[in-house]
Amino acid sequence: MLKLHNLSKVYRTDEVETAALNSVNIEIESGEFVAIMGPSGCGKSTLLNIVGMLDTPSSGDYVFMGENVARYSEAKLSNIRKQNIGFIFQSFNLIDELSVEENIELALLYHNIPASERRARVERVMDKVGIAHRAKHMPSQLSGGQQQRVAVARAVVGDQAMILADEPTGNLDSAHGQEVMEMLQALNEEGTTIVMVTHSPAHADYARRTINLFDGHVVTENLRAAV
Amino acid sequence: MFQNYINVALRNLFKHKLYSAINIIGLAVGLAACIMIMLFVRDELSYDKHWSNADSIYRLNTTFSPPGREPFVTVMAQGPTKAALKNYFPEEVGAVTRFNGMRVIMQKNNDIFSESLMWTDPETVDIFDFDVVAGDLRQTLNDNASLAINETFARKYFGDADPIGETVTLSVWSLKRDYRIGAVYKDLPHNTVLEFQGMAMIDETDFADQGWEFAEWFSVNNYVYFTLKDGASIETINSRLNAFADQHIQVPASVEGGKASDYVAYSTQPITRIQLDPAGARDGEMKPTGNMTTVLTFSAIAGLILLIACINFMNLATAKSTQRAREVALRKVLGAKRRQLVIQFLGESVLVALIGLVFGVVLVETLLPAFNDFVDKQLVFNYLDGMTLGILFGLIVIVGMLGGVYPALILSGFRPASVLKANKSAESSGSARLRSVLVVMQFAISIALIVSTGVVYGQKIYATNMDPGFNKDNLLVVRNTGRSGAVDKREAFKEQVKRLPGVTSAAFSSDSPSSGNESNSMVVIPEEEGERSELIGVYRVDYEFFDTYQIDFLAGRPYSRAHALDVMPNGFTAEEGALLQGNLIVNEAALRRFGFASPQSAIGRVVKSSVGNGRSAEFTIVGVVRDIKFQSLREKMRPEMYQLAEFGFSNLNVRFDGTATEIVSQIESIWKSMISTVPFGYDYVDEVMAREFRAEENQSILLAIFAGLAVVIACLGLYGLASFTAERRTKEIGIRKVMGATVFDIVRLLLWQFSKPVLLANLVAWPVAAYGMLSWLEGFPYRIDNWVLVPLCLLAGGIALAIAWATVGGNAARVARSNPIDALRYE
Repeated sequence: MLKLHNLSKVYRTDEVETAALNSVNIEIESGEFVAIMGPSGCGKSTLLNIVGMLDTPSSGDYVFMGENVARYSEAKLSNIRKQNIGFIFQSFNLIDELSVEENIELALLYHNIPASERRARVERVMDKVGIAHRAKHMPSQLSGGQQQRVAVARAVVGDQAMILADEPTGNLDSAHGQEVMEMLQALNEEGTTIVMVTHSPAHADYARRTINLFDGHVVTENLRAAV
Repeated sequence: MFQNYINVALRNLFKHKLYSAINIIGLAVGLAACIMIMLFVRDELSYDKHWSNADSIYRLNTTFSPPGREPFVTVMAQGPTKAALKNYFPEEVGAVTRFNGMRVIMQKNNDIFSESLMWTDPETVDIFDFDVVAGDLRQTLNDNASLAINETFARKYFGDADPIGETVTLSVWSLKRDYRIGAVYKDLPHNTVLEFQGMAMIDETDFADQGWEFAEWFSVNNYVYFTLKDGASIETINSRLNAFADQHIQVPASVEGGKASDYVAYSTQPITRIQLDPAGARDGEMKPTGNMTTVLTFSAIAGLILLIACINFMNLATAKSTQRAREVALRKVLGAKRRQLVIQFLGESVLVALIGLVFGVVLVETLLPAFNDFVDKQLVFNYLDGMTLGILFGLIVIVGMLGGVYPALILSGFRPASVLKANKSAESSGSARLRSVLVVMQFAISIALIVSTGVVYGQKIYATNMDPGFNKDNLLVVRNTGRSGAVDKREAFKEQVKRLPGVTSAAFSSDSPSSGNESNSMVVIPEEEGERSELIGVYRVDYEFFDTYQIDFLAGRPYSRAHALDVMPNGFTAEEGALLQGNLIVNEAALRRFGFASPQSAIGRVVKSSVGNGRSAEFTIVGVVRDIKFQSLREKMRPEMYQLAEFGFSNLNVRFDGTATEIVSQIESIWKSMISTVPFGYDYVDEVMAREFRAEENQSILLAIFAGLAVVIACLGLYGLASFTAERRTKEIGIRKVMGATVFDIVRLLLWQFSKPVLLANLVAWPVAAYGMLSWLEGFPYRIDNWVLVPLCLLAGGIALAIAWATVGGNAARVARSNPIDALRYE
């Protein structure tokens, strides 16, 4: 699915140069469920942003589905991103002014899909994550778990091949956290590639492989035997 | 405490430089506009209040209601009213005086000049106080060979030398006399309706042959001013003016029935009210007067500009208030009472208003000279004058309150716990809605002003480019050809002018386009039973007139030397008892008034009209021309006849092709070689006609400036709001971008948000502007079509939208291009 080769990201301010990622080499196969762990400031989020094409590397290669996208323009990246990648954030990042179904529909809005088909797909995915009865509600009327379910629905409504989850359970209690993890696992079993940043070893256990980052380096990679 | 408020206020101003700049610039411009208009209005209101007995000076106006015509109001009265008023109202009327302006030929040593001087009665000194700098004014006005002049006139002709005792020779009509300069007075202040550079005493015997100047009851050539005696009431006079008219004026025999007061009505007008209430007369004042409607309109517009600035102030303050929620919450936690917070925020907005005022005053000082040029006044901004200070103080308080009261109440009402916990305040949808309403209001005002500018300018263009029925280009009028000294050489002069290369034709006429003169004569139309009289406008013309003006004939023919009867009979020289006959050319409007069906059918019809000396002649209509707009384009077309005469020509009309200035200088040298005692004067016809619409031109410029200011200030506010909104919506924009929205999608989203209020503003502005401008246009007999408003409204809306987009677009694009992860990382 994707391959990072000697990938580095350096942040420069006027005086200081900080390497967030240092010659990282990672390969993720299609259909994998990968967890990325590491202490705060180790480069997890930077890695996820680059993988998600929200940011570009300073050097190295990023091959996504056979294309080296490391030097692509923002517009090109945006195009690849919206076709293939779904996002789930710790803080849900729903738009407060839009209802549940409108938030989900947003992921289809920029894809040239006719309105009738958009509606059908939104309804299907709402059923799937069990939020259909809240379709007309605003995000502020939902619990955290429900909000994250909306975010998951939004991430998959476009049939994205890969989902990037940035601490998806960070703002949830354990029961809701587990619910979201099970949802991700189910998606993975249907063939969606999932890359998840997490602090929770228990939630990392859902993944088949864990990558540990420290100070911008890949320290270890643990492969879990199939459950 | 106070120190803390000031610190916080100033730091906030500096921290939010953009918002502060928008507020201060907007307020400065709005306040400057208000201050300048205020100075203008105060000046307009000050007219003629400075005379020591201003409250008891009145003017007698006359309204004529000729049968079959619109009544017309004049600001003058007949010469004999002076004595009549005094006799008829002995208990009420104090002093009465007349002013009769005449253009004279003035000879000083061997030089001749053409000047306007005022003939007046000695009582002028009792009614008006003049600032005499040399000589004795009372004595001068009691002597028919003395002249009083103002300082400018004295300097112009005598330089620094003492003019008292010097002599000049004045000629007007049959009067020719040496006048001794008897007094010099300070120039009249600009804020009076009186204007003249010199005064001579009226000696009616000097004008015995010109009965219309002072002696007749059928000519109005005098401004008649009088004072009211102490304790007398003007109402007493007003109620008896009809009886006054009936007693003094005899209804002419040609008019059947009725009393004099049915045709001539007098009214009195306090001198202090003349400037802004011109009594319904369009012109005829000594100098152009103001107009209450204009004053009110421009005051209102200046107020609206300030309102737009205040709205910015208010909108940005509420928008920004969320950012200050933490400060408010902390102050509350530390024990601040709501009242203290309200005072703090109101204080801040008054401070901003005060800074705005400082910049506004700087603007006024910078722009006042240009504004003075524009309104033709010498306005001075006097800070220490109590009234000014009061008004400025009032403006600051009002602006400060308007801008501050809403945010003060909203902010001080925040609940500290929720604010601190969420680290933000959920903005109430109410204040967002209020902001939208206010933005709609701002743009509605701007759009309405743009539409008004378009209409006023369009009307001016229309009126100045309208086809007057003759060719007004390449046409000039040589004046003074009727003056004694010029009149005998007139024909020879014309012949020489015609021979000039570049001159295609030349013709004499009694009048020229847009001169403001009006001459009417009664025409009797025979009918099956009896006859009917109509009052018709008269022009005296010569053979070449229609050719020179290039006037089209609808039927018949122009005057020709081949027809002896074309020449109008002269009642003074005709044989006693002879039947007088002549031919006549009339216009279409006259045709309709006479009741003739078509131009063709009018040819050969006979009407009767007076030819002087109490005699009348039968005229056969030989030609009908289309309605030519010789009168002001502000007046309705009137029925007119064009008599072929051999006298009464004051103008030589010259049609030329070639360089105008060259032709003029050649004509001038011919004039000077033939006529030494009358100065040369000329006008271009197209320029004279354009001058009539200078007021509209100035209004459209002023409106354009105001509309521009309104749009700029409104857009400043919009810019502020847009950057605030972009800030507030960064998270949303980030999410949308992650979902695949392109820069274009985001820009479109933000543009649409700000297009809605502008589009809505159109719906508010269009009907208001259309209603206002249609009623303004009512005042013009010749006006642009009503449908012109449709494209103008659309255009104004388009302009407003385009400017709004340009304002918001840059900001929107910047926000749309920013990296979404920056926006999403927080929370």
